[in-house]
Amino acid sequence: MSGASCVLVVSNIDLRTNAHITKPSVFLKSSVRDFILNINNDYRYMKTGYYVSLHAEILGNDVVPTTENAIDAYRLPVLLVRASKNGMPVMPHLVTDSVKQIMAEFNFPVVVFAVNPFSFNGFQTAKNRTALYRAVKSLSMNYRYAVCAQPLRSEILQVKSFFGECSIEDDGVREIAEKVYETFKIPVCKLLLQRFDKEAYLCGLQPLKLEEILPSDVDMISKIVSRFSGKGWFD
Amino acid sequence: MGHEFNFMFRSELSEIPKYDAVFIRATTDPLYTAYVVSRTAWVLGLRVVDDPESIRICANKIHQYKLFEKYDVPHIPTLFLNKEEFHHRQIEEIFELFGKPVVIKAPYTSFSRYVEKVSCETSFREVAKRFFRRSDYIVVQKFMPSRFDWRVGVLNGEVLYVCKYMMPKGKWKHGVKRRGKPSFMWGRTVTLKRDNAPQRLKETALKACSVIGKGLYGVDIKEINGDYVVVEVNDNPSIYKDQEDLRDKDIYERIIKFLAE
Repeated sequence: MSGASCVLVVSNIDLRTNAHITKPSVFLKSSVRDFILNINNDYRYMKTGYYVSLHAEILGNDVVPTTENAIDAYRLPVLLVRASKNGMPVMPHLVTDSVKQIMAEFNFPVVVFAVNPFSFNGFQTAKNRTALYRAVKSLSMNYRYAVCAQPLRSEILQVKSFFGECSIEDDGVREIAEKVYETFKIPVCKLLLQRFDKEAYLCGLQPLKLEEILPSDVDMISKIVSRFSGKGWFD
Repeated sequence: MGHEFNFMFRSELSEIPKYDAVFIRATTDPLYTAYVVSRTAWVLGLRVVDDPESIRICANKIHQYKLFEKYDVPHIPTLFLNKEEFHHRQIEEIFELFGKPVVIKAPYTSFSRYVEKVSCETSFREVAKRFFRRSDYIVVQKFMPSRFDWRVGVLNGEVLYVCKYMMPKGKWKHGVKRRGKPSFMWGRTVTLKRDNAPQRLKETALKACSVIGKGLYGVDIKEINGDYVVVEVNDNPSIYKDQEDLRDKDIYERIIKFLAE
């Protein structure tokens, strides 16, 4: 990808950069042939961020992120399979809709994530059987969908990641953020991790809400975007 | 044919690596478990129907129609509507362009659900608002009534079966919800031998599938004044005993062969 001199930045976040920025709604009507850098707080399936990448691909452009990666990254079981294939430490996990199976596999406490089309920030922790039943029932929408269960060994750490850079002083966490970006190329996201025994483990990835992106974050994204668009891509 | 098979349910997903091929018979949508199965199997190198790429294109009609536009597949006149530009002028322009009524489709439509016909601004707004809850873009199409839709089953770039999905009497789509009842009413299925089906019909179906992939699809086609226009391509098409398989009995054999190749 190196040497691409033309990068079109499509963003729904107001960036402070000299690079030319296009709004998603304008881009979706255009037929630009360029390298597309898609900056959005949310790339989930059927959100505007997803459609920008889709439009770019159908026009035959290279784009970051690709729709394939956008879908994979937010589908927890797929995220973890691909992350562990690429050598990242991930939490052991189980995709199921059965509470008994979760209890047979893991000791309490456990954390349960939603694997359904609707939840935005869907995860709950459970310290005992009753809480687990309650969590699975609600996150699986009354057993209609599967959930993804993992052992809970520490607090769930939530980290904002911009192009794989994050503002946390922990080598394990930084390495995971970098590698997640290397694998999935999601420019803007929130990583969920657990940290215990001096190691960090990936357990999820979620979109950021627009209001979670602070002015300092905008600065950070803008800086990285200027760097990329000024010097070409991935040098 | 000497192949063994097992059913797999949600609690056995960790067993995917033990198999050589996966055949999905569940609603496929990138947000459902079926996609997780498909994608996992694909990443692990198994043969899988429906493959993740086909699911992505077929489960999202916006994706699909954009490809039809790009590769000149004859399809029903279509435009896309964005949540942000959804206002009075836009709706009027659509009615001017397509006439009344128009058909609104949510990108995630399947089994005739989330496809609705509207003929005034009020109902347009009501339906669109509902569909915008899950997708930031929706599809608007010209209304083209017909007595039946052709349904062409395609596997790996070859026609598998051909039938006509008749519309229930007085209705405009193959599956309609009965007023006041939770149940669906389906039209009849009339099956043809695939060799006896019109050649141009089969060519149109194969062209539509060629922009999607090499899996198993059901292509809906309308015949309008002797022309064939594609309504949509579905992955995971229904195959019922004595309906789709009535005239060509080798359907299942072909699918198994394709999976085991």
